[in-house]
Amino acid sequence: MGLADAFTLICVVAGAVLFLAGTLGLLRFPDTLSRLHALSKADNLGLGLIVLGLMPQQASLMGGAKLVCIWLLAQLSAATASQLIAGIAARRKPQA
Amino acid sequence: MAESLTLIALFVLLASAAGLAIVLRSHIAIEKLMAVQLLGTGGAATLLLLGAATAQPALADVALLLVLLSAFSCAAFTLGEGESPEAAAKPDEPS
Amino acid sequence: MTVPSSPRRPLWRPSLLGRGLLFFALWLVLIGAALKDWPVGLVAAAAATWASIPLWPPESRLSATGLARFVLRFLPQAVAAGLDVARRAFARRIAMKPGIVTYRASLRPGLAQGALCAVMSLQPGKLPVSCAARGDMRVHCLDSDASVTAELAADEAAFLRILPGGRAGG
Repeated sequence: MGLADAFTLICVVAGAVLFLAGTLGLLRFPDTLSRLHALSKADNLGLGLIVLGLMPQQASLMGGAKLVCIWLLAQLSAATASQLIAGIAARRKPQA
Repeated sequence: MAESLTLIALFVLLASAAGLAIVLRSHIAIEKLMAVQLLGTGGAATLLLLGAATAQPALADVALLLVLLSAFSCAAFTLGEGESPEAAAKPDEPS
Repeated sequence: MTVPSSPRRPLWRPSLLGRGLLFFALWLVLIGAALKDWPVGLVAAAAATWASIPLWPPESRLSATGLARFVLRFLPQAVAAGLDVARRAFARRIAMKPGIVTYRASLRPGLAQGALCAVMSLQPGKLPVSCAARGDMRVHCLDSDASVTAELAADEAAFLRILPGGRAGG
């Protein structure tokens, strides 16, 4: 196994662990907004690590750039969406 | 390498599916919306891993589409929320 | 949504051209560089530029060094945020005290404050709930007794540095 493959495996496994953490957070955190924390933060870091790990496996530079774009889009949309969702949650029950 | 990537893809898929089950069981509409986000990130991660394992870059397109769809459905949900009467004193909403 | 009113100036400005080129480059990365697809890409880039005008007025500018410092500051924090959530999720006992902290931002409401809220939702243990008008932000925190206000102020100061002219009067 080459150095690149080792890098891939380490990053990808770390990403998978973060996805597990996100699910555990959904299961264990006490209130809706905390669960939203788990979802938006852990899962997006997991996706980022997986993208980072898959970098050396890409055939072309373009493929790598595309992966980064996908991650950026996911990160941006998560940042905005999680906060929109939180806004709705707070409006529905102001003392959330 | 392909086998390990497929295995990890399966793991991520299972973790996301478990999360989906938790979120969808909830009675709160917002938690159901969180399922959309979970599907976006978890699905994208699974597809990217599978795409790398099977050397099919086209799966990245599907992943991109999933992320895009989840972003749009969150925006649409928020817009629909804005039209409801309870949101009369709506604070300005970031775009 | 408060959008700074777009002035009656000619829309064809160098900054818009550069923005359109950026969109086209993004399109090339996502779709592929085959020459026969270029017309569609050019139309898409033009449409994206047109759609971006009300959201991001051409006269607002970002400072490049500020942007670099911003990435250097917030990227590690986004990683720390993910690790923080993971640590809490794996902990044997859930030790947290979720609550909502009110913070008075000095940014004017609008796009800049929206962006600030989006950035803050990536910070460890914080999630803005409402970025209402009048500059009051309600932030949901996993640990509401931590020194949240100071951290928020530091984050906002770092954010303001990439936004010359984004500071509100009071």
